[in-house]
Amino acid sequence: MTDTSLSTPLTAPAKTNAFFWPQHYEAWLLWPVLLLVWQLLSQYLPLGVNPLIPSPWVTFQALHDSWPELWQGTLSSLGILLPGFALALLLGTVLGLWVGSKERAGRIWLPFARVVAPVPPTVYIPYAIAILPSFLVSAIFVVFIGAFWPIFQSAVAGAHALDRRYRDNARALGLRGWRYWRLVLLPAALPHLFSGMGVGLGFAFILLTVAELFGANAGLGRFVQYYADFADYPRMVAGILYTGLITFLSMSLLEAVRQRLLFWVRR
Amino acid sequence: MSGLHLHELSLNYGAQPILERLNLEIPEGQLVSILGASGSGKSSLLRLVAGLQSPSSGHLLWRGQPITEPSPQCGVVFQDYTLFPWLTLRENVSLALSQTQPQLSRAEVRRQADGFLVQVGLGAASKNYPFEISGGMQQRGALARAFALGSPLLLLDEPFGALDPVNRAHLQDLLARVWQASKPAKTVLFVTHDVDEALYLGDRVVILGSNPGRVIADLSVPLERPRSRQRLLDSPEFHALREQINDRLAVEILRGLNSQSQLEPSP
Repeated sequence: MTDTSLSTPLTAPAKTNAFFWPQHYEAWLLWPVLLLVWQLLSQYLPLGVNPLIPSPWVTFQALHDSWPELWQGTLSSLGILLPGFALALLLGTVLGLWVGSKERAGRIWLPFARVVAPVPPTVYIPYAIAILPSFLVSAIFVVFIGAFWPIFQSAVAGAHALDRRYRDNARALGLRGWRYWRLVLLPAALPHLFSGMGVGLGFAFILLTVAELFGANAGLGRFVQYYADFADYPRMVAGILYTGLITFLSMSLLEAVRQRLLFWVRR
Repeated sequence: MSGLHLHELSLNYGAQPILERLNLEIPEGQLVSILGASGSGKSSLLRLVAGLQSPSSGHLLWRGQPITEPSPQCGVVFQDYTLFPWLTLRENVSLALSQTQPQLSRAEVRRQADGFLVQVGLGAASKNYPFEISGGMQQRGALARAFALGSPLLLLDEPFGALDPVNRAHLQDLLARVWQASKPAKTVLFVTHDVDEALYLGDRVVILGSNPGRVIADLSVPLERPRSRQRLLDSPEFHALREQINDRLAVEILRGLNSQSQLEPSP
């Protein structure tokens, strides 16, 4: 910790996004290799006239042909995912930080959370569909439940992890209420919150597609189920690949936001 | 009644006494160095004065009012983790300004914040985040924020303890300069375990004994200001005081080794 240059502060080291630009070419090479394996499997396995493993070319053709339908499905799915996830983010963060930073609230709510959080959220789906007025509302609810607990728990952990020295500084400065939350508690909890959000978003996608299998008339999960019912495997596999792509893009977006907001975390 | 009065102050952690019947009177405008070995409860004493903790018994009064919670009357600088890493230096300092002077416009807060940063030699680094600057610069920023709070009472808990000797000397000079320029002069409690630092900065050196912490010596430092290191080293009074303090501390450390029963609980 020398202080040789008082007027010219050090700049942060340039960071490369190892996720998108792998330094090792093997990571990129994996894709053509997998494609080749896929091609060989579809070509040489005796799978009959309507193969369960359609060739890459046929699948990409189906992907291209289904584009309008998939895009509509994406919009429909996002119409469920976004409100559910946003609500989970808001309530999970606020309640988690509250329960994590107030001892009394923690004593009351944490034992309850420990019992309820591990219930697999998929078991709520039939009940939600039965009890709530529309499929849309019940699907949003199910996505919300899936994303809520991981976010809530990470917010609690983030509040618990707030360094006593930061808390003391905040108290010594007289920071309270909303200013304390905005300037100290929330930023300090963000590293934990983002891991909770990652888990929560993963759960949200799982629950979204599962819910769509139950009763949707549009959406990504519905697309796959629909063509499976017709044994249209090229479209089904195309739907799976497309859903994977959307999930990956969503996760990447979250990761980009994380890197942007957590620039201050020591690497 | 002006100044700081500590009367029969005791603090226990469970059954373990940290401070025992400590009495101290500090008139306003004095810079008091507090010296003591580990386990003497120096930091605990500062936390009590800051209102971050309540004593087990006894009274603390600032200007005749009991100290029960942190207040803008009192600024604190810790050894590290003082600046919030997610805020720039300017934002860190602005925080203190808008906390005590909410009526200031945003532009005015910014102008004053930059003024305080210039005062500590960080004019060029106002947009930098703490992780982008050295430890010495971070402590300058921490001092700037404490000055910006404008509190008449300033508590410094080994603020230069983690710095290299060159930076340490720079910051001691800076503190002495700003303190002397403050009108009316701030009352400062400066906790350190460096005897030379205590003498160089203090009007008075209070030595705490260990297990439990209590005042074992209270010496005034009759060296004229502004002080220079060279003149201090040439002054026989300085050497006499230094020897006296070192002897006192050595006795205390030996006593601690002999009893060897308790250690200061780590924060």
